[in-house]
Amino acid sequence: MNSLDPRVARLPKINEPVSPKVPLDQFGTFEVFVQPKEGKPFQHEGSVHAPDLELAWVLAKETFTRRFTCTSLYVVNTRDVYVSPLTEGDKNAYDLLPEITEQAGSKKDFEIYQLTKRGKQHVHVGTVQAVLPQEALVQAAKLYNTGNIVYNVWAIATAAIRFTTPEEKELWLTLPEKKFRDASDYKGGDKLKNFLDRNIS
Amino acid sequence: MYGGGNTFEGIKTDSLAAEDPIKLAEFEARITRGEKIEPTDWMPQLYRKQLIRMIEQHAHSEIIGALPEGTWITRAPGFKRKMALMAKVQDEVGHAQLLYSAAETLGKSREQMIDDLITGKSKYSNIFNYPTYTWADCCFISWLVDAGAIVNQLANAKGSYGPYCRALDRICAEESFHLKYGHHCVIYLASGTAKQRQMFQEALNRWWPPMMHFFGPSDKISAHTEVLMRWKVKMGTNDEMRNQFLDMYVPKIWELGFTIPDPNLRKDETGKWEYTEPDWEEFKRVINGDGPCNKERLEVRRVAEARGKWVREALKTPKTSYVTPLA
Ligand SMILES: [Fe+2]
Ligand SMILES: [Fe+2]
Ligand SMILES: [Fe+2]
Repeated sequence: MNSLDPRVARLPKINEPVSPKVPLDQFGTFEVFVQPKEGKPFQHEGSVHAPDLELAWVLAKETFTRRFTCTSLYVVNTRDVYVSPLTEGDKNAYDLLPEITEQAGSKKDFEIYQLTKRGKQHVHVGTVQAVLPQEALVQAAKLYNTGNIVYNVWAIATAAIRFTTPEEKELWLTLPEKKFRDASDYKGGDKLKNFLDRNIS
Repeated sequence: MYGGGNTFEGIKTDSLAAEDPIKLAEFEARITRGEKIEPTDWMPQLYRKQLIRMIEQHAHSEIIGALPEGTWITRAPGFKRKMALMAKVQDEVGHAQLLYSAAETLGKSREQMIDDLITGKSKYSNIFNYPTYTWADCCFISWLVDAGAIVNQLANAKGSYGPYCRALDRICAEESFHLKYGHHCVIYLASGTAKQRQMFQEALNRWWPPMMHFFGPSDKISAHTEVLMRWKVKMGTNDEMRNQFLDMYVPKIWELGFTIPDPNLRKDETGKWEYTEPDWEEFKRVINGDGPCNKERLEVRRVAEARGKWVREALKTPKTSYVTPLA
């Protein structure tokens, strides 16, 4: 291709027309949760597309933790997030949960996330034990419904989560050293002042 | 990008007639109260459609916008500039990821958006259809194109759609680095040798017309968007955004002793900027495909898609399936 960009100029010619993408060309969807500081709760940050949980974790790290501080991160398939109705005004999502009878079977852990301010992120409040995610939400209502309005609740089976391993946590230790990604590393003030002084005199 | 200069479809007044009037009133009241709309909330079809269009254009602009700067990474002057530019370009591509996800929550799949980019059906910011001849062009983009983008993005971050606002908050935090870095680069050129100063002056001459186009057609001729403003999809008119940009950055360009190539550029008594009317015919021509780099930009995407296909296929696992992101 004829281009000013040497890398573009040497690109190969693609003869076959690019066919329309098939569904899933960009893979499945995974939700990303980040703990910004030790002792702080995890919060929902957004989503990534990846072929599996492992790669979702890698992409999440690249997309969401290049800046600020991060002590841990986890990802889960979007399908593994059980979602309550979204409410507004003075309606509490906990009050709208359907009744559920005690389930037989072995209980497992569910991570509970709440939305307490519309427009903000879902934040982790705790872990409950239940057989089904519907039941986990009812459990959460018993434990975390303080009467303050909660607009939306999520229950995520803990076993479905790809957590960060203790060794991987080292990845973020050097984050504060990467000053070249920070506006504060580009102070042109002195140079500008010298330039202006020179021009005035 | 670059929420600016978005093309909105002309809105027919009756396109709201099919909506449930009670739900519509509730929806509008919520926006007036300053509350955000979330993916599972009721929304008019027109709101959904125009938001998808806007967020998608914004996402495309981020990845296409990474091309004219990306080409300068290997040629950036010195190790520090290379590191910074690499980080900036990585940010821009990351912005596209965040924005595609936000658009997906409205129901358009990523596959469809990328298809529409490649076939030329969806647009991206027009300014990236111009070439970066020298390092100074690259500095112009880093400083002033990003500055324009920030004007738009800060405004849009106060809009009504939750997922878009949250993506923009994150994006704006990163943009502050781009802006400072870009200004730093230009200060170095300005206070350097005569040749360096000349390099930037020439870049400024080349980029000024597309920069004026960046915020979209003048309010006098652009499709009417009152309903989009009321719904906080569009947060200011094109001329308001352009004026805000001029107000913030013209003094900074003048401070460095450069000449902006518009003899009519001046601030009037009311604080509004006057300028030569940009050539909107040229803007239309370029946005419709006839700019210096349109072909190349899309071809680069096409080649990347074709060459990456086997990798995507090799990675595919039968168990995964597409779902709309949550929030
Ligand atoms: Fe960006
Ligand atoms: Fe940019
Ligand atoms: Fe940027």
